[in-house]
Amino acid sequence: MQSYFIGVDIGSLTVKVVLLNNHLEIIGQMKTRAGYSGRDVANRLKEQLLTESGLKEQDVRSTVATGYGRVTFPADREVSEITCQAKGIHHLFPTARTVIDIGGQDSKVIKLLSNGKVADFAMNDKCAAGTGRFLEVMASALEVEWQEIGEIVSSSKNPTKISSFCTVFAESEVISQVSAGTPKSDILAGVCDSVANRVASMTRKIGLEPDIVFTGGVAHNQGVVNALAKQLGYPLLVSQEPVITAALGAALLAREMNKV
Amino acid sequence: MPDAQSTKHNEHAKKRNYRPLVSTKALQKTMGRYYAITNYHRYWGKPLRRPLAWVTSGAPVELLRAFKIHSAYPEQYAAIYSARQATVSLCEVAETAGYSQDLCSYARSNIGGVLRPDLAPLGGMPKPDLLVACNNICGTVLKWYEVLARHFNVPLLVLDTPFLTGELTPQAKEYVLEQLNAMAVDLEKITGRKLNQQSLAEQMRRSAEITSLWKETRQYCQASPSPLNAPDLFIHMAPIVVLRGSQEGINYYRKLEAEVKERVKLGQGAVNNERIRLVWDNIAIWPQLFSFYKLFAEKGACFVTDTYSGGWAADHAPGTPMESLAATYTEVFLNRSPEYRANQLINQIRDYKAHGFVMHSNRSCKPYSLVQEVIRRKVMRETGVPGLMIEADMADPRAYAEEPVRNRVQAFLETFDDLT
Repeated sequence: MQSYFIGVDIGSLTVKVVLLNNHLEIIGQMKTRAGYSGRDVANRLKEQLLTESGLKEQDVRSTVATGYGRVTFPADREVSEITCQAKGIHHLFPTARTVIDIGGQDSKVIKLLSNGKVADFAMNDKCAAGTGRFLEVMASALEVEWQEIGEIVSSSKNPTKISSFCTVFAESEVISQVSAGTPKSDILAGVCDSVANRVASMTRKIGLEPDIVFTGGVAHNQGVVNALAKQLGYPLLVSQEPVITAALGAALLAREMNKV
Repeated sequence: MPDAQSTKHNEHAKKRNYRPLVSTKALQKTMGRYYAITNYHRYWGKPLRRPLAWVTSGAPVELLRAFKIHSAYPEQYAAIYSARQATVSLCEVAETAGYSQDLCSYARSNIGGVLRPDLAPLGGMPKPDLLVACNNICGTVLKWYEVLARHFNVPLLVLDTPFLTGELTPQAKEYVLEQLNAMAVDLEKITGRKLNQQSLAEQMRRSAEITSLWKETRQYCQASPSPLNAPDLFIHMAPIVVLRGSQEGINYYRKLEAEVKERVKLGQGAVNNERIRLVWDNIAIWPQLFSFYKLFAEKGACFVTDTYSGGWAADHAPGTPMESLAATYTEVFLNRSPEYRANQLINQIRDYKAHGFVMHSNRSCKPYSLVQEVIRRKVMRETGVPGLMIEADMADPRAYAEEPVRNRVQAFLETFDDLT
């Protein structure tokens, strides 16, 4: 008999849900803005996924929740994003030894052993610099959609230096660059470099070991991907759906919990 | 360390499902008496010709005791302020007066308490007759105590202990010894008493005894399950800090040692179902003493030893009392190289069969925290156990972000489970 497992990742900006069967096939996945109640959004996504797959609540053997809202969601178990991310990435990229995850308000680096176990990790602390939120603030100051950043940056000839580590002060730097008439592409390239700098130094702190996987919402941003690869001196592996890797890890853990 | 917290500690212990210590009653009595004596110094100090000194935690109090000087510890009061949730308002007083928020929170809350004693628990500290600062724990104390000296217009005696990149050199020892001799001359002038060598020797003997009792008590935690957890160590270290060289201190640690020994005999652990043994590095997170360590205790993780309260368990150096003081106070671990500190942690992990370690990157305490990342990597490499870094502050709760801390602790503890 087929059984199903759900991984829910309630992040600061987005909610991700993954539905898995016991052959490790992803039956469905969904993501949307978390809004005010990540828990309600997650429930809605879960129901939607089940309906679309022609499944019922009873078909789900177990659910694991992760992300900032993990404690609010009625799951069988809540597991930290570090463990879930490690699980998801090891499943997709068994050769990964370093995981760089830049999400909405976190950036983290996880060092993996060859068996996928977490050997060490580092996270940003009490500061939004070097996160998705930072990019969003800068994009909004420049009136561009964050999805466009990658493309705009590709035409930059002379990236600006954004020296500040603080999101608030970096925004004023960006604004003064705008007033000085600096091209948007150069300012955005500077913003991407600044995120990459911040995360690269965190990566070096716990020790850089290839293969390196870049995941989280910011991995969609080609500007940061290129800046980070250049900084680290290694190519970065990015999955097709970098946003859902922690939710996938959660679903994989839900399945492991039920291995008979 | 803040004993007034100990009743609360026991209540919490029951709720948190870890074992309260019977000795806590004796601790309260011992410390209560010390605070009463200290806070009423103005009534008995002058008639008995016994001045009150404010001293740093690493000051050579045995010498002061030989001159019948009573010592009070701003750092210890600051820990009490913090455990009683008064630090923020006291720090704000100091910050308004112009002291930077980047300054040590013990210094800020102490200065805040000096400026506004009405906001300080215990009514603040009694006024000092002199100040004694030793820079073996940090450089901040020099400027902090200069501020106090100007404010109270009292003498400040400084003991400068050179940082040890390796072992203590004869030159460094001689340099500190000369300062101690000069300090003794100053103290003779201040107190109007002659240095009594016999009394100093007696202080040193009692100080050595209390140190070895504390050391033995801690060593019982090598047992599995460990009879004590970090909050126990932090609370029961109060007498070793303030009553070094006193008979009351010795009496207290005899009781504590007996209880801890009994726990080991009965196989009683401080944490129920201990399954993860950890070592703690840096000063306690006083304002979150219970909620923070509960994150570990509820998952069966016990801090079996630590580098902080272990700082008071170091053996006395040999020699004459003055030579011993010079070497012992210069060789304190915070005055030593990252290599020394890494080895200390490595030995603790081996001796206490620890599965991992947690470092508190303490915003206030730069000498303790600055080199932690280097130490963390070396210790992980050499022991193969994982080490977690938590960013917080020993006293200022504004530097503690609960959710990120919870996140890291959970992820760290999950690495001990077979999840990945």
